[in-house]
Amino acid sequence: MPATDCQGSSAATFTNFGRSILSLRRDQVHSMDTIHPDGASSHELELESFQKNVAERISGLSSGPDEILSLSWVQKLLDLFVISQEEFRMILFNNKSLLHRAPMDRLIAEYFERSVKALDVCNAIRDGIEQMRQWQKLIEIVLIALDNQRTFCDGQFRRAKKALIDLAISMLDEKESASALNHRNRSFGRNNNNSSSRDGSSTHHRSLGHYRSLSWSVSRSWSAARQLQAIGNNLAAPKGNEIMATNGLAVVVYTMNSVLLFVMWALVAAIPCQDRGLQVHFYIPRQFHWAGPLLSLHEKILEESKKRDRKNACGLLREIYQIEKGARLMNELSDSVQFPLTEEKETEVRQRVQELSKVCEALKAGLDPLERQVREVFHKIVRSRTEGLDSLGKGHGSD
Amino acid sequence: MEPPERYGRETAGFETAEKIILRWDSTVSEEAREKMIFEGDRCEVDRYLQAVDEIQRSISSTTISDDDQTKVNSAIQIAMARLEDEFRNILLVHIHALDIDSLLADLGSTSCSRTTSGRESSDFLEDDHLEQDETSTSAAASAAVVRDGGIRGSGSRDVLIHMESSSSAVSSYRSTNSIREVDLIPEETIEDLRSIAERMIAAGYLRECIQVYGSVRKSAVDLNFKRLNVEKLSIGDIQRLEWDALETKIRRWIRAVKVCVRVLFASEKRLCAQIFDGVGTAIDDACFMETVKGPAIQLFNFAEAISISRRSPEKLFKILDLHDALVELLPDIEVVFDSKSSDSIRVQAAEILSRLAEAARGILSEFENAVLREPSKVPVPGGTIHPLTRYSSDPSTPDMDFSELEGKTPLALHLIWIIVILQFNLEGKSKHYKDMSLEHLFMMNNVHYIVQKVKGSPELREMIGDDYLKKMTGKFRQAATRYQRATWVKVLYCLRDEGLHVSGGFSSGVSKSALRERFKSFNAMFEEVHRTQATWLIPDSQLREELRISISEKLIPAYRSFLGRFRSHIESGRHPENYIKYSVEDLETSVLDFFEGYPVSQHLRRRSQ
Repeated sequence: MPATDCQGSSAATFTNFGRSILSLRRDQVHSMDTIHPDGASSHELELESFQKNVAERISGLSSGPDEILSLSWVQKLLDLFVISQEEFRMILFNNKSLLHRAPMDRLIAEYFERSVKALDVCNAIRDGIEQMRQWQKLIEIVLIALDNQRTFCDGQFRRAKKALIDLAISMLDEKESASALNHRNRSFGRNNNNSSSRDGSSTHHRSLGHYRSLSWSVSRSWSAARQLQAIGNNLAAPKGNEIMATNGLAVVVYTMNSVLLFVMWALVAAIPCQDRGLQVHFYIPRQFHWAGPLLSLHEKILEESKKRDRKNACGLLREIYQIEKGARLMNELSDSVQFPLTEEKETEVRQRVQELSKVCEALKAGLDPLERQVREVFHKIVRSRTEGLDSLGKGHGSD
Repeated sequence: MEPPERYGRETAGFETAEKIILRWDSTVSEEAREKMIFEGDRCEVDRYLQAVDEIQRSISSTTISDDDQTKVNSAIQIAMARLEDEFRNILLVHIHALDIDSLLADLGSTSCSRTTSGRESSDFLEDDHLEQDETSTSAAASAAVVRDGGIRGSGSRDVLIHMESSSSAVSSYRSTNSIREVDLIPEETIEDLRSIAERMIAAGYLRECIQVYGSVRKSAVDLNFKRLNVEKLSIGDIQRLEWDALETKIRRWIRAVKVCVRVLFASEKRLCAQIFDGVGTAIDDACFMETVKGPAIQLFNFAEAISISRRSPEKLFKILDLHDALVELLPDIEVVFDSKSSDSIRVQAAEILSRLAEAARGILSEFENAVLREPSKVPVPGGTIHPLTRYSSDPSTPDMDFSELEGKTPLALHLIWIIVILQFNLEGKSKHYKDMSLEHLFMMNNVHYIVQKVKGSPELREMIGDDYLKKMTGKFRQAATRYQRATWVKVLYCLRDEGLHVSGGFSSGVSKSALRERFKSFNAMFEEVHRTQATWLIPDSQLREELRISISEKLIPAYRSFLGRFRSHIESGRHPENYIKYSVEDLETSVLDFFEGYPVSQHLRRRSQ
């Protein structure tokens, strides 16, 4: 395989820059339809195209119009997975006769095992999306209190403040929540008297924390980090003899495995879920077209996770950052206001409200489609596995 | 309820109201924190609510100055915060667990699964330690008074009272074959909740109201989930479970999901309607979704995991049970989750259903293919049970009378078909054995295994029918007989009488040479058979025993009698030990070596004579 540095070098790579992923896919289908007189090189072409397409799509994620780790970017990420897997399925279908031979049968079975592990990640992400819906609802309270008001008064701010505190608690990294609860109670001027179960606020915040643990549909011991480790376990580039023995298909499987791992990793990075750990390593030999783009994207996301104000974020999604920032600023502002408001202050309030309103709109527009897409990924993985195991003909064995 | 005293000026009414509101501001007053309005004096409750109403009226009043406007807004916020706390507190106090045990029993006796319902309910008793005594159910009856408030009309519910299981208190639940709502909160309390909700929503505090409601009721649902053993298992967890453990969980889940959909969720839905109906548009639906969406997804995730788990034949029946339970439940799911916002749940249920059906079909066809196409020409060493047989389901004979197939379900027919194929294949395989005795032993082992499995599974036995079982039994007995003939006829032939006597008379004229030949052949043959057939295997210990006994019954008397009649002739000659190598006891002992699957030492154990 020729060593090409796909990192922003060749102009040809970016001729598709402006186009959507879907049109890329259409082109792909055309090129695969071309029948070469020499059957052998058509097979090589198929495998080569797959690599190149994956590389292009990942590059598109890096340099596309959507901001990295935004909701729309995550949707593109999932598109990438779905399309790549479709191509993968096609290749497997076209090479049915080669699938039974060792070591290909083992490699495929391994891919299906890894993809099953990804299903749990999909379910966890679904929970995370639901949690974000709760945040959206809290922001809506803030907006109702403060948006479109002729004049601002104390009552509205207190209402907004209540919601903002609930929001802040709900967004805390779980480990921090216990100590932060006390702090928040004090700062809101309430006596944190836990012995009194009548105190609405402490019950409220306790039940908030409890409510959050209820919102995970998996047991307390489930860990996204561990799941990612399991998906990436023993994932290594195929050796020369494996590639020979499988007519090059081992490379295709390795590519698909890596795409699976990367997509799941990026999802966990972006969306809140239980025990988010991002320590998965990607060791990918540079000779693969897509190695460069994937590793650079990986790097960018890791960098984001290390930034001072994102280190303890419950998710790296851009919109989550906007919520955090917006909520924090609004909170500070509402602490600092004196009534009646100066014109300056009023303008500031309206600005903050606008920012929150924007992110709320983004959530309203983006969360439902995202959830549907995650479910689509789930279904596609299941379908591909069922078909694959069926066609392997070995039955599904037993667990 | 006292009418409020009317003052001359409007604002005086406002001031009084404001005082009351401020008095109950828990951010300011210790006393306000300690007590809850709705747990105290009813008069106080009414006073407070009226105060809230007064403040509300002031908002829309045009005679209020800007200053006062601020005061009004502030008062509203304080009132709403207070009402929110009261609302939450009332809900928290009224989290009651459902009487799960009697619910399980009721629904259990009306369920239909592939097993007989009698067996199902005895499972309940074993697994859940139920007490079906009258006292517990009548206590439940008084705690959960059923009202006649239906939600949206649905054809699947009628208002009959007769219960299938007669032991429980009859009047407490509306008993139909499907949905049964239960009162989760007493009527007076619902009135209180409603009065709070109305005011919060009128003041524009809808979202706070929904959020509080959802968070508390969700924990109530979770409590009931725990009592129903609904677990939080990931797909990975389920993959790692042994099938036996998984089977139990599936059984439990089927019982739990019926209670969840038909009672738990339906009751929550009704509670939302009781509190929020008419208070705003679709608010009851929003509260309902807030409460049950997460739990419903968690619940169905289990069935989804089963539907995508790896397929293997032993899972067939449980997958069908799961499928059937969901089919039965689907109309109720449609009724309970009938709003747009619950689309995803209905869709998920339908997806799971189709996957389960697909899985069942897949298991059957895979198995069929495996049986038909299993290509190995290498005979199974030792004639033991072929791996395919282990997965066999329904035994039947190839020369089947088609009238016997009448009245059988499609599944039974399919299974019978598979077994016909299996037998066909087995017979083909048996022909690969060069040794005919082994051929028959192989058939005997495999057919016997099938018979044992069918006998051991009530579902199979019911489906297959005792007639086939008899036929199958006859078949393996026949194979046993054929084996004996193939092996022992020639051995026992050595011990026959004819050919040994020289003269035609009955005076002793025994050909010593012929006799010696006989002994030598017998010894050689027996040794050969012993050496070979010790390594053959009959896995079933009872069958093994039976066959050995059957061999002994023919062999030992024949040898004993032969020895008795002719040993003196040998012993009177040279080297008798070359010919009479074995005593009767030696033979008896060595028969015990047969079919153990282990090679024995070259020489038979001998007893020195």
